[in-house]
Amino acid sequence: MTLRGPGGVVMAANKSQGSFYTLFLAAATVLCAGVFLWSGGLGKLLFVVGVLGLLASLFGMLKIKPLEGRTALKPSSTAMKLIGAFVAAFGWFITLFGMHLTISVAGRMILALVGIGVTLFGIIVILPAAFNKNAVWKT
Amino acid sequence: MKKKLIRNSGWILCLVFSCLVLGITAHAQATAAAKPAASPAVPADTELKGALAKAPSQADLAKGDPGGTITGTMNDVPVADSKVGPTVSDVGTQVGQNKIAINFVWTLITGYLVMFMQAGFAMVEAGLCRVKNANHTYMMNFFVYTAGLFSYWLIGFAIQQGGSAGNGNLGGLYSLNSEHTLSFFGEAWGIFGGTGLFLSGHTYDVGVMVLFLFEMVFMDTALTIVTGACAERWKFLAFCVASSVMGALTYPLYANWAWGGGWLSQLGANNQLGHGYCDFAGSGVVHAVGGITALAVCMIVGPRIGKFNRDGSSNPIIGHDISAVLIGCFILAFGWFGFNPGSTLGASAAGNLRIGTIAVDTMLAGCTGTFGAMLYMWMKNGKVDASMSGNGLLAGLVAITAPSGFVSTVGACIIGLIAGVLVCLSVAFIENVMKVDDPVGAISVHGTCGLWGVLSVGLFADGTSNYGGAWNGVAGSVTGLFYGDASQLVAQLVGISTLLGFVFTFSFLVNLAIEFFVGQRVSVETEVAGLDLPEMGQLGYPEFVFKPEPDVLVNAEKGYAVA
Repeated sequence: MTLRGPGGVVMAANKSQGSFYTLFLAAATVLCAGVFLWSGGLGKLLFVVGVLGLLASLFGMLKIKPLEGRTALKPSSTAMKLIGAFVAAFGWFITLFGMHLTISVAGRMILALVGIGVTLFGIIVILPAAFNKNAVWKT
Repeated sequence: MKKKLIRNSGWILCLVFSCLVLGITAHAQATAAAKPAASPAVPADTELKGALAKAPSQADLAKGDPGGTITGTMNDVPVADSKVGPTVSDVGTQVGQNKIAINFVWTLITGYLVMFMQAGFAMVEAGLCRVKNANHTYMMNFFVYTAGLFSYWLIGFAIQQGGSAGNGNLGGLYSLNSEHTLSFFGEAWGIFGGTGLFLSGHTYDVGVMVLFLFEMVFMDTALTIVTGACAERWKFLAFCVASSVMGALTYPLYANWAWGGGWLSQLGANNQLGHGYCDFAGSGVVHAVGGITALAVCMIVGPRIGKFNRDGSSNPIIGHDISAVLIGCFILAFGWFGFNPGSTLGASAAGNLRIGTIAVDTMLAGCTGTFGAMLYMWMKNGKVDASMSGNGLLAGLVAITAPSGFVSTVGACIIGLIAGVLVCLSVAFIENVMKVDDPVGAISVHGTCGLWGVLSVGLFADGTSNYGGAWNGVAGSVTGLFYGDASQLVAQLVGISTLLGFVFTFSFLVNLAIEFFVGQRVSVETEVAGLDLPEMGQLGYPEFVFKPEPDVLVNAEKGYAVA
């Protein structure tokens, strides 16, 4: 089945995708073999080959990505997304360090809850705002 | 003088005689004392040989054994030396092997049950999607098994369990002996394992294989949760890459921290927080990891065309097969009897006879979860909602997964009931407040209720379980807040914080990278036409006549044509 849009024929699944995913899997296997045999020279060689293979597969996928055509997504602020992720992670750090700030069970519980609250603020408030600001359904 | 000599000689003789008598008595006593130590061996071996002599002969067995009374006797105990015959050592070896064999068989069979849950997930997810995406949804559920399994065999299992030696139920697993640690605040914290890549080297071991199979099907359950949440618009290539990465890294990392000897499990030993993070069968490790990753990917993939209106209100997009959904739920409930009771990793010794309680807790929580969701929807909307009832069953099962090994049946009922209501509230919140489109409710069922399950351990664990006398290296039974140990609740909160703060962030960043390199979403044309033909090359139901969808669902199609 061929799909056609204003810009001409657009892509769905195709041979290139299959090839690059095959390369991705093969490279991942070689990379893991490198980790397994790391103590020897062959292991390090396999590791490097695996990394190069993974990069080749990812850049291959990047190269054919524009052929996909228009998606129902509009560009949104990457910075806001990263801020949301950072806030989510920051809450986790509050919880972790809270365990060492006090040995009282109540104190640790409060700090854990504060950490979870900060994380949820990042996930529930900041990130949806980042993604929905220019959402396609708003237009 | 003579008399004196004779008298002295008499005394000397008496003394020598006395010494002789004492010596003989002492020797006799020593012999008598030594006898009991030596005596059991000879009669025991003799008794074993007697039992062998009384065992039915081949001629007896040739007549058949309809009552099962003569099959399985002393004849069936392998002996080290056939000339000597059966010894206590032979019997002891056989008893040990029987214990391990029982645990192997139990763990393998429950693992097979969990593997069958993939069929249930496929039916639930595909049934809740539109018919034009049926093939694509089924195929994602099918292929996630393959993609996850391969990644897990490559490196995931090593990261998760590579340092988890010491499980007596499966023979010790001593080849899994390398856990990489980081030192913080004077304590060593486990971060990831290091042995078991390709299941080769010393991990080419019978016990390790059993553990691998069981842990692998758990991992695959987590992966398949994401496919439901992102159904109907997830590009198949992106799904393949994302699933491979999740099976190799995301899931194994958190599973190591909780189950593989990692830092969350050490919170009790290192920080005096109860028994450390306790997640008996995976409300957090499996379901919350899957649900939270699903949330991260769903945000990136975006909602389906037509799901939300300009004013932010949502449109229901009805699935095509409610029968598949409900049958799938039953398959999942059946598989859960592998999930939870199987997580003892054995049926013999070390408190494993609690498997009956765990199984009953599981079925009761599913029961009250169904009640919670069905009654809530019935009272709220005036109708019984079949798909939400199914989700209520799953929510109860998800929530009881972590506490199933530690709570009573009353606790299980309460946990399940709360989960059933919670899933309805969560679905509405995620859709109406966050504007995240989850076609099957996977984020709520597995994410929200998974977190609730983790929390409930810290509340309802009743302190009666005893798995070998300790859990996570801390002696005694896991006990929650309601039974007197508030510190266990803190350990559970740390686990929840890690799920939300680490797992979400890690999954989000990984999938942002996949979005950059691969692109997570199919084109508008593909989505409107349905993913079956463009992505799979074949319709799920080729003889069906598609009913045209409402305009609201195809607005974005304007200006495009299908050739």
